[in-house]
Parts: sequence; structure tokens; C-alpha cells
Amino acid sequence: MEEIGKNESIRVLLDPDGVVVAEGDIDLAGGPLLDTAIVRVEGPNPVVIDLAAVEFIDSSGLRSLLAASRRAESRNTHVVLRKPSTGVMRLLSITGTTEQFTVQDAPTEAGGGVDPR
Amino acid sequence: MTTAAGPVTLTLPPVATMVRVGRLTASSIASLADMSIDDIDDIKIAVSEMITLLIQSGSRATITLRFETTDEQFTVEASTPSGASDLGRNDLALATAVLEAVADEHQIASTADRILLRIVKHLVPQSSSIATV
Repeated sequence: MEEIGKNESIRVLLDPDGVVVAEGDIDLAGGPLLDTAIVRVEGPNPVVIDLAAVEFIDSSGLRSLLAASRRAESRNTHVVLRKPSTGVMRLLSITGTTEQFTVQDAPTEAGGGVDPR
Repeated sequence: MTTAAGPVTLTLPPVATMVRVGRLTASSIASLADMSIDDIDDIKIAVSEMITLLIQSGSRATITLRFETTDEQFTVEASTPSGASDLGRNDLALATAVLEAVADEHQIASTADRILLRIVKHLVPQSSSIATV
């Protein structure tokens, strides 16, 4: 995997299939690095972001994901959040933004309405 | 039981990497108050939102965090001098929605010279250790 960047909050990688892999915290410091990686893979296909190793996200991190979703919508595609933690799912639920994304492999306690692929 | 040795005050420079420092400090102090894992997670989210708002809205001066535990509640106050970009001009909607969800009480106040954020988490006994006859 190619490392796009890292700082005290986050490490962002790009796997050979073009999946953005985030590890750590998506906050005010981590969001901009995630933005850089997302912009790099944007195109006609869905943007897939693997969140399995994301331990924390706040609303500033969520803004990065929502901005990616808006840009994807303008290209007639969407953003896939893969393996989000319960913390990520809770923030999406709190802010009413779950529907902005396609969610894959969500934790079982997060409930239905997600893509099980 | 709480470890109410007195308030803890933390000052942070207004830079993005300090959000994590504040969050982890809050987590440590909250754990001393016998809070549940879920409640500590709520505190981490709240403190992250508070510091982020102050970095984005303040005057780029030091941010002060004050943590206080009593038998009934865990309180976090965060403040910084006001800046040219006041709270009203930022996208407060997401942060406010999050604070409403994770804190039992929250306040956002802005005066001519200072921005003050405050959240309260009510403490719930974690075990039925009080069993008197």
C-alpha cells in the first residue's frame, strides 16, 4: 500500500485497488490528510474509504467525508464507507448523515439499512 | 465513588494537533470519575468538538480547559479570547448536534472578549456498591 501521509492523528494509505485506508483519528488534524487521499482517487467510480482502523471521529472529520460525498454526487457516484466502527456509525446517526453514504460491513449493533457487501 | 481532588486546568496552543491532546487528557480525568466506557467516549467527542470550535473561532490565542468532577456531574469548560471570526460565522450546526447528543447539558457563549463553551455529563453509579442494612 502507498502511504499518502501521516501526522499525530492519522495515517492515510491507498491500497492497490484504489481504496483509501484511514488509520487513527479523523479530527481537525486528520481530516486534511484524508481529504488529500480522497481527492486523489476521485473519478467516475465510487470512492471507497476503509475505516476499520479508525478509532475516533468528530464533526470536523465528518465534514471531510460529507464534502467527499457532495463531490461524488456531482459526478453521479457515491462514497462507500467500509467497516466503520460503532463510533463512526454513532456520529453518522447523531448528525443524521448516514444516508449520505453507502455503508459496507457495519458493526451488527449499528442496525440495518446498510449494504452488507 | 469519584476522585474529586479538585479541578484540573489544561492550557493548549490553538493548533489542530492539540485537539487529540485535550481529548486524551479528558478521557484520563473522566476515567477517574468511574464513568462508563460509553460516557468516556462521549466526553472525548465533546471535548474534541469544543477545542475544534475554539481553534476555528478564537483569536489564535491559548485555549484553556477546566475539568471538574463532583459526586453528581463531570463538567468541562473551555474558553479562549474572541477572534475576528466569531462563532456565528462558523458551521455550528454539526458541532451543536453532536454536543446535544453526547452531553447532558451544553452552553455556547460568546462575549466581546471571550468565547466560553461548557458541557456537563451527569454521573450515574456504575455498580450497586451501596448496600446498607
